[in-house]
Amino acid sequence: MAAVHLSGINKRFGETHVIRGVDIDIEDGMFCVLVGPSGCGKSTLLRMVAGLEAIDEGEISIGGTVVNDRPPKQRDIAMVFQNYALYPHMTVRENMSFALDLAKRPKAEIEKQVKRAADILGLVPYLDRYPRQLSGGQRQRVAMGRAIVRDPQVFLFDEPLSNLDAKLRVQMRTEIRELHQRLRTTSIYVTHDQTEAMTMADRIVVLKDGVVEQSGGPLELYSRPANTFVAGFIGSPSMNFMPGIARASGGTMQVDLGRGASLPLPAGSRADDGQAVLYGVRPEHFQLGASGLAVEVVVVEPTGADTQLYCRFDGHDVVAAIRDCAECRSGDRIVLAPDSRRAHLFDAASGLRLIA
Amino acid sequence: MQLTTAGQDAVTPALRKSAARRARRAQHRRLWPFLLPSALVAFFILLYPLGYAFYLSLFNYYLDTGASTFVGFANYADLFTDTRFWAALTRTIGIVVAAVGLEFCVGLTVAYGLYRLTFGVRALNLLMFLPHIITPVVAALFLKWIFAGRWGLLDSLFATFGFFAPDWLGDPAWARVTVVLADAWQFTPFMILVLFAGLNTVDPSQIEAAQIDGASGRQILFRIMLPSIAPIIAFVLTMRMMDAFRYFDTIYVLTGGGPGTATETVTMQTYALAFRLFQIGKASALGVVTLLIVLAFASIIVATVGRRKGRT
Repeated sequence: MAAVHLSGINKRFGETHVIRGVDIDIEDGMFCVLVGPSGCGKSTLLRMVAGLEAIDEGEISIGGTVVNDRPPKQRDIAMVFQNYALYPHMTVRENMSFALDLAKRPKAEIEKQVKRAADILGLVPYLDRYPRQLSGGQRQRVAMGRAIVRDPQVFLFDEPLSNLDAKLRVQMRTEIRELHQRLRTTSIYVTHDQTEAMTMADRIVVLKDGVVEQSGGPLELYSRPANTFVAGFIGSPSMNFMPGIARASGGTMQVDLGRGASLPLPAGSRADDGQAVLYGVRPEHFQLGASGLAVEVVVVEPTGADTQLYCRFDGHDVVAAIRDCAECRSGDRIVLAPDSRRAHLFDAASGLRLIA
Repeated sequence: MQLTTAGQDAVTPALRKSAARRARRAQHRRLWPFLLPSALVAFFILLYPLGYAFYLSLFNYYLDTGASTFVGFANYADLFTDTRFWAALTRTIGIVVAAVGLEFCVGLTVAYGLYRLTFGVRALNLLMFLPHIITPVVAALFLKWIFAGRWGLLDSLFATFGFFAPDWLGDPAWARVTVVLADAWQFTPFMILVLFAGLNTVDPSQIEAAQIDGASGRQILFRIMLPSIAPIIAFVLTMRMMDAFRYFDTIYVLTGGGPGTATETVTMQTYALAFRLFQIGKASALGVVTLLIVLAFASIIVATVGRRKGRT
């Protein structure tokens, strides 16, 4: 186990500057998820930690040792790839023991390590099978087994669940988390799926265009997003952003959203009189009420636990997730009352969170 | 009521299965006519001549007199007791193994070099493929000028540095080396092209996984990449082996099978039997035996190299 520090990391592919001065500190034993949309540089960053991609500027250290110029095999890391990258001509046992075999470890030790990993992952019955004889989930487990047997300082996961179906993805998510709790090995996990990030991470790093937008615990990112990008990226369905103007009225500051709708400033936020702002409310933080936003229901989607209402307010789409709303129909006119204690306020120009 | 339902349930899958089988058969009947044209071509240009060659091999048939006597397997018996046949067969196998082995080793080395190269691959590929595009007889004439005694390119080159070149085409041992080199010069590009294409099919993440696992470049090549492209290797080795067994044109121009019979291959012996001695029956028997030997070699290559573990 080891801490991983990335400082001032820059990477260019020709003219394209894909990683721009990234600093990340990952503590020993932490499960850190790098999340962001396609092309944000998260996989490149992971490959740089693995040693599969050269670093143009900056420093990466694993366990206190700068590894910039070390090849992958000298970094004491193990990586699980998106397409598993199992060796097709080797059995599960051979796949898992390959690294130890190369390191010329004694046969008995190799056998013991493979057995231990196979036990943990429930792979004992499949040890003599070839990858093509396994299901997607089993292949994924073999890929993890190959990483476990090495007993590395750091596990790297590059979108390992992308190729699995929805049900298996949820199952494997739990298994990976369970595995981490058992082994407590420092892990860096790359995904574009914010649900995966929220459910698995001790710490999430949100990336966009090669820049860290925010980093912190899942609930911190959910309840105190630093900007509109993070606010919109974390949480499903996404946060609603309603443009408005901050106005001082009767000694208090209100946000005028137009159409006669005026809402109090969210708790803990601050704005100047006349400032253009974005009022952010998560769908689950709306309630049906008497005062708030008068909207027209366009689509009703019952999900079982709650009902998602796709509404229209002053030309903007507003999504609300309301419990016990079986009677809502499309075309209905309802009033959505945001919970101002859990609402967010952002500067319309910069997209940054406005904090008191 | 319940019994009837259970009975129906038992019968329905069986009925469904037989209906599916009927539909499949009907679909096959509709597809057969599409195969017929190519099947007819294959029959007339492949199977019929093969069958006719076997038929001729059972006769003592002289092309010049036209005399033909049924002799059964006597031609085969004659061949197997003929020391010249065994010598030609041993020589042919030696040339095939040396030439194909050399082509594979050089081909793999160059293909791996090209695979690792990041620029100029396309131009180099084209240049390297040139010898393969040239007609074999023309290529053989080039090679004759290169290997010719005294005034040949190679001899002149040796002389420039003050060395005496061996008699490339006149010395029996060197003549065999020369025909092997000639074949390699002509067909290594084909080997490079196929192996280069094969190496490029290996999943890059497997190579990266091996790098992380601690494999060196050599270990990645031999333990990950080559096993991954085993079917391609089997294909190219089989193709070249079959081709090399038929090696004729270049030898014919370069040495004519000589000096003596030093470079006489089975194909050249077949040619001599058929068109110099006009013993068509015996030549046909030799052709059939060559086919069986090639088949045996091809089976060995496919069974050993082409066995793709985990994908069978």
